[in-house]
Amino acid sequence: MEKNGLSRRRFLKTGGLALGAGLAAASPGFSQTYAQESLQVWSCGGLAEAFQPANHEFEKLTKASIAYTGAFAGALGKSLLTGSARTEVFGPRVLELAKKLKAQGKMLWFKPLCFTQYVVATPKGNPAGIESIKDMGKSGVKTILAPEASPPGGKASMIILKKAGVEDKARANAVFVGDCVQTAVTDLVTGKADAAVIEKRIIHLPQFRGKLDTLPIPEAFIPPAPVPFTIGVMKWAKNRALAEAFVDFILSDKGQVWFHRAGFIPAQTEEGQRLTRKYGVMDV
Amino acid sequence: MYKQWFGNWKRRLVQLVSLGIIGEWSFYGIFRCPFAVPYIGCGNCPVIQCPGRNLWMWGWILMGLSAVLFGRVFCGWICPGGLVSEILSMGAFFKNKINRIASNLFSVGKYIVLALSLYLFFVANNPRWAIPIRTGEFFKSVGLTFEHADPIWIYKTMAILIALGLSIFIPMFWCRFFCPTGGALELLSRFSLFRFITNEKCTSCDRCLKMCAMETRPSESNCVQCGDCLDTCKLDAVEWRSRIRST
Repeated sequence: MEKNGLSRRRFLKTGGLALGAGLAAASPGFSQTYAQESLQVWSCGGLAEAFQPANHEFEKLTKASIAYTGAFAGALGKSLLTGSARTEVFGPRVLELAKKLKAQGKMLWFKPLCFTQYVVATPKGNPAGIESIKDMGKSGVKTILAPEASPPGGKASMIILKKAGVEDKARANAVFVGDCVQTAVTDLVTGKADAAVIEKRIIHLPQFRGKLDTLPIPEAFIPPAPVPFTIGVMKWAKNRALAEAFVDFILSDKGQVWFHRAGFIPAQTEEGQRLTRKYGVMDV
Repeated sequence: MYKQWFGNWKRRLVQLVSLGIIGEWSFYGIFRCPFAVPYIGCGNCPVIQCPGRNLWMWGWILMGLSAVLFGRVFCGWICPGGLVSEILSMGAFFKNKINRIASNLFSVGKYIVLALSLYLFFVANNPRWAIPIRTGEFFKSVGLTFEHADPIWIYKTMAILIALGLSIFIPMFWCRFFCPTGGALELLSRFSLFRFITNEKCTSCDRCLKMCAMETRPSESNCVQCGDCLDTCKLDAVEWRSRIRST
């Protein structure tokens, strides 16, 4: 700091003033009243724990009412792409889905929202002494798998194990193979298993919070498709100003904090911006 | 009909209170639950708006206790599905038209559904047959669930709705012949400590059977301990008895 002619104290003071000014400037936008107005928001179900409190904050600020639905993005996407479904704001997982909706003219524009993370989860205290994903292939290590779960929980985890070169051994070590990640993780919490590859957001769910430890997975093993989430305004938005104010709020510090708390990397952070570039999350 | 409906006002009051407490859970279980067997996978259910997430464990513990103490009292006093069945059954076309042999034969259906449910839960790990719409407006979410669920979920849900709806023709059709919860409680009720019974004054006039929504006699199969039959017996042959005292 000193060598740039800016002391730490001055940096913090200037930063604080800038943040305050920024919030003050931003607040009027969010505090504009939309009383009696409602906005329909759909997103991938994995984002539900973040969207629920964020929506509530937005409702408090603007008096608008948010009708939110969170479900498997593939189902919602299919409803929007080929069915008669309509929504005003959509937060899909998988960049391709946003691009297809944009190409069909159903989504007007989209922006990067957040990124999911995959980790190796172990029971609290890591009693089996797992050191990396490679250990899931060691004999005697009890794993759990959910290959039949929806792709972000099932298929992606299996691809990660395959890229790590331990898929077959992890399958052989499995004490539970199912179609539900949350059921599988229960076995991890109770100590029936030693390790699993899951999305980090799962450990932030109320029923698992504080009951699991995690180890990072090298980024090279992680398939790109399920990682980025976007958010965009749809052509059916009755009140474009409200829809855009909502997206602005979700992408603001006040909105993004809920995504961080739910276990995601918010797009507005330095790491989020790196991932935005890496995965090419751009509206074209 | 008025007398039958409001005569046992305490039961109606309990049913209405229960509807307020667990009615929404019942609704979610039928229309939104993604699992093959609803109401029992709530601990891991991703449908985050469903009140079952808070109610399910105590719900089942209390239900089991109630059956050991008072037989199928849950069905007669608390179950919102039972209340709906009763309402649908009010003007049933075939009231008291199914003979007892056929009724007893069809009653086996609830044990078959119970066995199937236990198999799906304990052996097949209660698979998800519906897209778990995690949160959202109820009816829109129901629409999406029907649009994207596995056909088997749709068949199951339609079977439940049809069996409930058939109460318009045959009273309490679902509760008597198909409800797996009723089947489980029926089995437990054989050990219940308190129950309505017919005593030695009974002349088998069947007045109680004719007015019973479940078309049964006190303490016999499908008796839900509602007590509606108490006032119909002119001989005071129906009584509430403790098994402890009588032994």
